[in-house]
Amino acid sequence: MSVARLKSVPAPDAGDGAFYAAAEKIYPREISGRFSRLRRAAVIVLLGLFYGVAWLEWDGHQAILFDLPARKFHLFALTLWPQDFLYLALLLIIAALSLFFFTALAGRLWCGYACPQTVWTELFVWIEQWTEGTRSRRMKLDRGPWTAQKVLRKTLKQVLWVALAAWTGFTFVGYFTPIRTLGGGLAHLSLGPWSGFWVVLYGLATYGNAGFLREQVCKYMCPYARFQSAMFDKDTLIISYDPARGEPRGPRRRGTAARAAGLGDCIDCTLCVQVCPTGIDIRKGLQYECIACGACIDACDEVMDKMASPRGLIRYTTEHAVQGAATRLVRPRMLVYGALLTAGAAALVYSLFMRVPLILDVIRDRNSLYREVRGDRIENAYSLKVINLDDRPHSYSLAVSGMRGLELAAPLAPISVPSGSVSNIPARLDVPATDAGGVHSISLTLTALDAPGIRVRETSRFVGPAP
Amino acid sequence: MATRASPEPARRLRGVDFALVLWPSFLAACAASLLFFAAVDPAMLRDAGPHLFAGLDREAGYALGFLFFWAVGALASTVSIYLIRTERSAGRADPPGDA
Repeated sequence: MSVARLKSVPAPDAGDGAFYAAAEKIYPREISGRFSRLRRAAVIVLLGLFYGVAWLEWDGHQAILFDLPARKFHLFALTLWPQDFLYLALLLIIAALSLFFFTALAGRLWCGYACPQTVWTELFVWIEQWTEGTRSRRMKLDRGPWTAQKVLRKTLKQVLWVALAAWTGFTFVGYFTPIRTLGGGLAHLSLGPWSGFWVVLYGLATYGNAGFLREQVCKYMCPYARFQSAMFDKDTLIISYDPARGEPRGPRRRGTAARAAGLGDCIDCTLCVQVCPTGIDIRKGLQYECIACGACIDACDEVMDKMASPRGLIRYTTEHAVQGAATRLVRPRMLVYGALLTAGAAALVYSLFMRVPLILDVIRDRNSLYREVRGDRIENAYSLKVINLDDRPHSYSLAVSGMRGLELAAPLAPISVPSGSVSNIPARLDVPATDAGGVHSISLTLTALDAPGIRVRETSRFVGPAP
Repeated sequence: MATRASPEPARRLRGVDFALVLWPSFLAACAASLLFFAAVDPAMLRDAGPHLFAGLDREAGYALGFLFFWAVGALASTVSIYLIRTERSAGRADPPGDA
């Protein structure tokens, strides 16, 4: 057994090859207070959205559905196709920039309140507290023999965990295949093999991550936890213990004048360590394991109230504030992240508003430059690719311009394209031979007959005999 | 659990190695699937591809594509871990050349 194990503290620099001390099970102590309430609210809102929105209907289809089997994405009134990948890419860029922005501003807000890992772990811990009791009872239960009571409590916990994990997997897959169809398949035990596979995979991932791995995901698996400090500066909001006020720490009777007894405000009750979901001691300073959930602040505030000391021995603060300097909200880092974020969001909104659910590709026929046709005219052939990205079928009229006497020889009938489909249409244009000499730039305009707003214009070339 | 006494502590396979192989490759497979299937319709592979893909529906296409990317990523991670673990000075407390 290595030294690291005996001290029961993970020692990343143990230097004996044990990069990872065997994980000690962490029993987070139950806690109430300002930040716990905030986190509870975040869990209820976020998970409520996740489990609820999947069932929301909009205009005859599921409101949010990344319909992979049909290759189209429904986002309320908007229907996106794989051709609209740009929007997804923009959305991901905006998400990354927001993460940078808010991390620089307020530290690991994401980790403490919004990360699925935190949110589901919280839910699983609630179940654990409900079935197995408080921290001390859970520790006693785990140490004790397998009594009927223990079997019952553990079984109940596992049943609830598995049920919740299965429901989570089902809901997740419900965002990719219509959830009502999926539910029907589940009810009749006729789930497709792949749908079943994904439900089980995501169910297992939820169970493993939230029930079993918990803080180890943040400590060993999460890349963001490792690089988030790059976004930090001395004005970033962090959770910090105030050693100037707290030290020297030590137990004392209630009502003792701490300063007169040579003590700081920290009574060394270790509650801040007991409530920590990642099992660290915040009094040792900022550590990358800290997910900034604020549980230690709540615990310490409660103790300070009891000791009649002012709150805030552990508090949200900044490095500058701790050093007695002023905290600056506006700084170059914030401006750069903010500007990039605004630009990305503006680009997304603008492009979504300007989006025309129609794509026209014009390809000149490569086989012949031109052809002489009846009536002393010169003809060029093209192949048109018309993609209808709207969620209903349309008929389009084609118009051409750019040369004197340019006329459409085919297609003369409107082009009908079903919703979400591609039509390949051969087209022929001709001009009088007297006007055809040389290479000309022309344009083709496609307009939906029932919606003049759906209109695209593409340019191409018309080639005639050398003048 | 590796100890100071074992001669080559770093070469042994540990539980965490599985996580280090499977997890980054899972993330990479998610990204790769997203990009690949945004451009390629699995039904297209079935219609245009060799007999290998005959009878493949879209859902199977997505799933197999994802698992394929995951496997490729896991292979790369495995080789990386192997190279790191078998490096001469890997995991030793002493600086290289001192042993």
